[in-house]
Amino acid sequence: MADRDFSKQRKGLVAMDGAMALIVLLVIVQIWLLSAALEGLLAGHTETALPAAIFSGLLFLCCVALTSFVGRVDRESREE
Amino acid sequence: MGDSGSERERLMHGYEFYVDPSRCIGCQSCLNACEECETHRGQSMINFDFIDRKGTTASAAFVCWHCDEPTCAMVCPADAIKKGDDGVVQSSLKPRCIGCSNCVLACPFGIPKIFPEREQMMKCDMCYDRTSIGKRPMCATVCPSQALAYVRPEQIAWRPEKPSNVFYFGKQRITTKVYVMVPANTESISLDVLDHIWEEAYAVLPEA
Amino acid sequence: MPFFRKPDSEALWKEEFSIHAADERYVSRRQFTKFLTLASLGMFVGNLWILARSYFTRSAVFPRSMVAGIGEIPVGGVKLFAYPTAADHCILVRTAENEYNAFSQKCTHLSCAVYYEKETNRLACPCHHGYFSAMDGSVLQGPPPRRLPRILLERQGQEFVAIGVKVR
Repeated sequence: MADRDFSKQRKGLVAMDGAMALIVLLVIVQIWLLSAALEGLLAGHTETALPAAIFSGLLFLCCVALTSFVGRVDRESREE
Repeated sequence: MGDSGSERERLMHGYEFYVDPSRCIGCQSCLNACEECETHRGQSMINFDFIDRKGTTASAAFVCWHCDEPTCAMVCPADAIKKGDDGVVQSSLKPRCIGCSNCVLACPFGIPKIFPEREQMMKCDMCYDRTSIGKRPMCATVCPSQALAYVRPEQIAWRPEKPSNVFYFGKQRITTKVYVMVPANTESISLDVLDHIWEEAYAVLPEA
Repeated sequence: MPFFRKPDSEALWKEEFSIHAADERYVSRRQFTKFLTLASLGMFVGNLWILARSYFTRSAVFPRSMVAGIGEIPVGGVKLFAYPTAADHCILVRTAENEYNAFSQKCTHLSCAVYYEKETNRLACPCHHGYFSAMDGSVLQGPPPRRLPRILLERQGQEFVAIGVKVR
C-alpha cells in the first residue's frame, strides 16, 4: 500500500467537486420537471407528461455519466 | 507512483526518525518529556523496556514505528486509526475509538496502549503537532545519547550502524517509516516471536 | 453490485473505510454523488409514473342536468345553478336574445363567487377585483390566473341542459 500521487489527488478532488456541482444542478432541474408534470397531470393537461419524462430521462443519463466519471477519477487516484 | 516519496520528505521537512537501542542509557528523559504533552499529560507514549532487569542495566526506548502498512489501522473495527500522506500513523481518533484493544493485540511491536478508564487507545504520533511544522519530537529533542534521533539522513550517515526499516516477523515482512540502527552488514531485523513465547517451554504439546 | 467493480480492485470495504486520511475526502464525495444519482433516478421514475397515469385517465363522464327553460330569464339576467354536483356553483347569463353562456361561479383566484355586471357585460369577483368576460370567461383584469371554466349547454327542446365542463 504505497503512497499516492498527491498532485493527482488534488486535481482529482477539484474534478470531483465540479462534477458534483453539475449533478446537483441537474437534479434541481429534474425536481422542477417532476413538479411541473405533476401539476399538469392534476390540472388535466396531459401533454406535459411526455416531454417532462423524456427530459428527465436524459438528465438522469447525464447524472449516471457524471457519476461514472467521478468513480473513474476516484479509481485513478488510487493507482500506484 | 509520481513524486510521492519526495512529497513525503517535503511534508516531514526532510527529517527521519532513527532508533538505536544500544545507545539507550536508561535515563528516561524521553518518558518525562513525552508526558509533558497536553493531549496525554501524565501518560508517556514511549515504550520503555528493561531488557533483562535481573542481569543487566541495559534498556531500550521505542516509539511507534509508523509502519507503511499499519496493522493497527488495518484491524481497527471503528476505522479510528488513520495514516497521513506523510506516513505518520496517527493515534486513534477520539470520537471513533471504542477501546476494544484490537490494535493493542495486533501490533507486532506492541506499541498501542489501551486506557480502559477512557475507553481509548493512545500511542505515539511522532509529536505530530511539532513534526508537521519541522520541529523535532519531544523524545528525540531530550535524548542525551541520541538513541532516539530525528535528523536528516546525511547526519546519521557517520554512525557505524546503518539504518534499516525492514522487519520480518516469521514470514511477514513489515516496512516502517522509523528506522532502527543495525550493524552494518545486516539487512533487516528478523523476529520469530514464537521462539520467545515463554508458554512454549511449558505447553503440553499433543502427541505428534 | 459486485459485477460493476473491476476484478482486480480492492475490496469495497477497504476502499470505503480506508486507513489513509486523505481518502476520506474521496469517499464522502463518492457516496454523495451516488446518492444524488439515486435521487435523480427517483425523479425520473416519478415522471414515468405520471406519464403512465396520463395515458390511463379516463375522460370524465358528466351527467346531464336541466338548467333553465328557454324564456325563463330575461336578456341580461342570470340564473344560479349547481353542476355537476351540488357543491359546484355555476352561473347562467343571458347576454343577448339568443346568447346563453354558463360558467363556474368559482373565481379562479381564490374561489370567491363571481356576479354578473350587466353594464359592462362582465363577471366580476368582489374579493380582489378580478373581472372575466361574460362571453368566454377569459380574464379581463385582476389577479385571476385562468379563465372561468365553461359549462357546455345543449338545447333540448325548450330547455337548456348542461352536458359538460370545459376547463381550458
